Amino acid sequence: MKFDAIIMGGGLTGLTAGIALAQAGRDVAVVSNGQSTLHFNGGTLDLLGCDEAGNAVRNPLNAIDALSDNHPYKKVGDVKALAEKAQRLLDGAGIATEGNAEKNHWRLTPIGGMKPAWLSLKGMATIDDPDHLPWKSVAVVNIVNYLDFLSPFVAEALRERGVQVDVKEFTTPELDEARKSPSEMRATNIAKVVERQDLTQTVADAINYCLDKEYDMVLLPAVLGISSGERGDQLLQLIDTPAAFVATLPPSVPGVRMQTLLRKRFQQLGGTFIVGDQVTGGRFEGDKLKCVTTAKLEGSVLEAENFVLATGSFMSRGLVADYNHIYEPALGVDVDDNGLNRANWAALEVTDPQPYMETGVRTDEHLRCSKDGTTIANLYAAGSILSGHNGIKRVDASGVDMITALQVANNILNS
Amino acid sequence: MANETQVQSLSANNFEQCLKCSICTVYCPVSAVTPSYPGPKQAGPDGERYRLKNKEFFNEALKLCLNCKRCEVACPSNVHIGDIIQAARIKYSTHSPSLRDRMLANTDFVGTMASPFAPIANPVLKLKPVKAILHGVMAIDKHRTFPDYSRVKFESWFKKHAQASQDQYAKHVSYFHGCYANYNYPKLGQDLVKVLNAVGYGVHLLEKEKCCGVALIANGMPNQARRQGEVNMRSMRKAIAQGHPIVTTSSTCTFTMRDEYEHLLGIDNHDVRDSISLATRFLYQLIERGEIQLAFRDDYHKRVAYHSACHMERMGWVPFSTRLLRMIPGVDFVMLDSQCCGISGTYGFKKENYERSQAIGSTLFQNIAEENPDCVATDCETCKWQIEMSTGVPVENPISIIADALDVEETKKLNC
Repeated sequence: MKFDAIIMGGGLTGLTAGIALAQAGRDVAVVSNGQSTLHFNGGTLDLLGCDEAGNAVRNPLNAIDALSDNHPYKKVGDVKALAEKAQRLLDGAGIATEGNAEKNHWRLTPIGGMKPAWLSLKGMATIDDPDHLPWKSVAVVNIVNYLDFLSPFVAEALRERGVQVDVKEFTTPELDEARKSPSEMRATNIAKVVERQDLTQTVADAINYCLDKEYDMVLLPAVLGISSGERGDQLLQLIDTPAAFVATLPPSVPGVRMQTLLRKRFQQLGGTFIVGDQVTGGRFEGDKLKCVTTAKLEGSVLEAENFVLATGSFMSRGLVADYNHIYEPALGVDVDDNGLNRANWAALEVTDPQPYMETGVRTDEHLRCSKDGTTIANLYAAGSILSGHNGIKRVDASGVDMITALQVANNILNS
Repeated sequence: MANETQVQSLSANNFEQCLKCSICTVYCPVSAVTPSYPGPKQAGPDGERYRLKNKEFFNEALKLCLNCKRCEVACPSNVHIGDIIQAARIKYSTHSPSLRDRMLANTDFVGTMASPFAPIANPVLKLKPVKAILHGVMAIDKHRTFPDYSRVKFESWFKKHAQASQDQYAKHVSYFHGCYANYNYPKLGQDLVKVLNAVGYGVHLLEKEKCCGVALIANGMPNQARRQGEVNMRSMRKAIAQGHPIVTTSSTCTFTMRDEYEHLLGIDNHDVRDSISLATRFLYQLIERGEIQLAFRDDYHKRVAYHSACHMERMGWVPFSTRLLRMIPGVDFVMLDSQCCGISGTYGFKKENYERSQAIGSTLFQNIAEENPDCVATDCETCKWQIEMSTGVPVENPISIIADALDVEETKKLNC
């Protein structure tokens, strides 16, 4: 099967690159081994949240200079321009966001933490300055018996910052029914129940009923709107006081929405999205990758002018560690272990920055991979598979995904 | 050494590799509409741990699983979630199939009985009182209409009108037509013969063909399914020995014979599996290798919306059908969002499943209405019944669309 470009990996990175290339008129296929970690995303994207010392960054663009030379952003021409492009790309897919690359805002995590963020989906609870919360009184409202939103944690975190917080609960008969199998009362199933039975007004009424006084802010679990943000917007408007959503534990509705809308946009642009298949190898000739094989297209290969490796990090199996080595399993391209010996892969404390997280595939200044020391002229890597960054420590994971994906798309279009 | 130990400690359907990420629950069409269903993660890898300790943990609610395998397609860890659930049903269920289940599952027996009486059976099965009896007595939902039985089976048509001319071709395939093409819609088989003949391939029947058994598996009759599967494998081995690849036109039969035979029924199909190919994939790969060419009519124009049937998606073969359809210059191609239509073979025919079945399909029907196509294309016949009944839009197998759009004379010239 011949395409102009083949992208391995169907998450935020793969779809961003896929959309950018398809928009430029290229015939693109994305091969995704199952669904992506975007399903765990809480509805925000981060560009750069913490500096080397672990301090929060206010202006991510300014802080990029201070990054070490092997950070993926150092291989990007104009981060600001690509950050703006990324926001437009999301907008074009129907994902409305707020925020910009010159000023981080803060988001609330499902357990009440506050993290710097670049873009947040419209409707998500955000804070301009974590040292000066804009609310004096907040209601944290959960659905009765819904376990993936930890309202007491959120409340406690806000109280520690001097906010007056009440924890409230509501339910409706339909939501009660959705809990018949407790393990299945997940954010996405709640979203489907509300959508199918058109319960937005019912839910709004139940929330309004449980609010017995005025609050500056009502925080709700983000459980509405898999295929668009519309239903969430409607609900917020129907609530009597200002209200916003806080991400839940996975599966996360805002993340699933991003995945759904990006895939849809890619397919509308003529892209081919192959899910549930995995790249099993490639045929290299000289310094070029000619084609890749997959587990299921037996007898056929995927040929293209250019290839992008966007298969993610360890969790997505873009990188695999056995007892002695870290390697890239799809094509066997070179991996940077940053001189780590086996004993130093992991730090002792689980919450410490983990050195193995900065391992990843080695790329040249154009983000091209190498195999056995030879740069492969038409094989690029983007996203969290790249070496030289730690998305948890730096709070830069989704920024690296989108920005390097767009840079790779540019490199391909200019090659 | 340590790595080998890790590989060796995986069970047949690798439930140990589940990371508990819960992505499968997002794509389960059943748990979204039926809260009493424990969902793929709980019913599959999580429940399996308990069942291994004590079979009392088996839950009959697992019969609500459609076996659509969308959980497996979504799983980033490649856990065979659907297989775990179906294997648990086969191993632990004490529920014995009802007369209704036996009737629905025995598609070729019922087809053989009904076809000669098609002119009577078809209108009779549409009569309200008959439907009421089926609904009340047999628990087959009254909203459903059985697909029409054809007066002349595909096999009979083939023997009378096509068989004699097949030996003139230089290359040959054996065709597993399946119950649907044989009893209900011989045109699909005729379309395949038309297309393959045009590109220089002779088409032959298998020495003996039985229903692939998918409905038997779903309705709790694995032993009969295994016996039928063995018959099919024997016939296919003979055809392969003659140098005939096996070509099919139903994604579900294909998936069952290639994957479920081994995973669920324990049939050894390793020497046959790779020779079984869906016709769209077979054609696409011939075109890709430069062995055949297709020419299409100038006057063919249709807006075609492609629906990815669940087992087609699970096989990973959707691109073969869609790339092939996109080769037709007169096709205005639309890709529908990949989701289950809700019928799942015999599942949606059962009274107790009707509402669930329609609720599952509702977003697909809405998507089709928005796209407003001239026809929907899909590789699965039961999706065809469901979509036609629920949307009124005609549904065609991609092979029928190709047969319709094909310039036969020009194609013959290109391939002689």
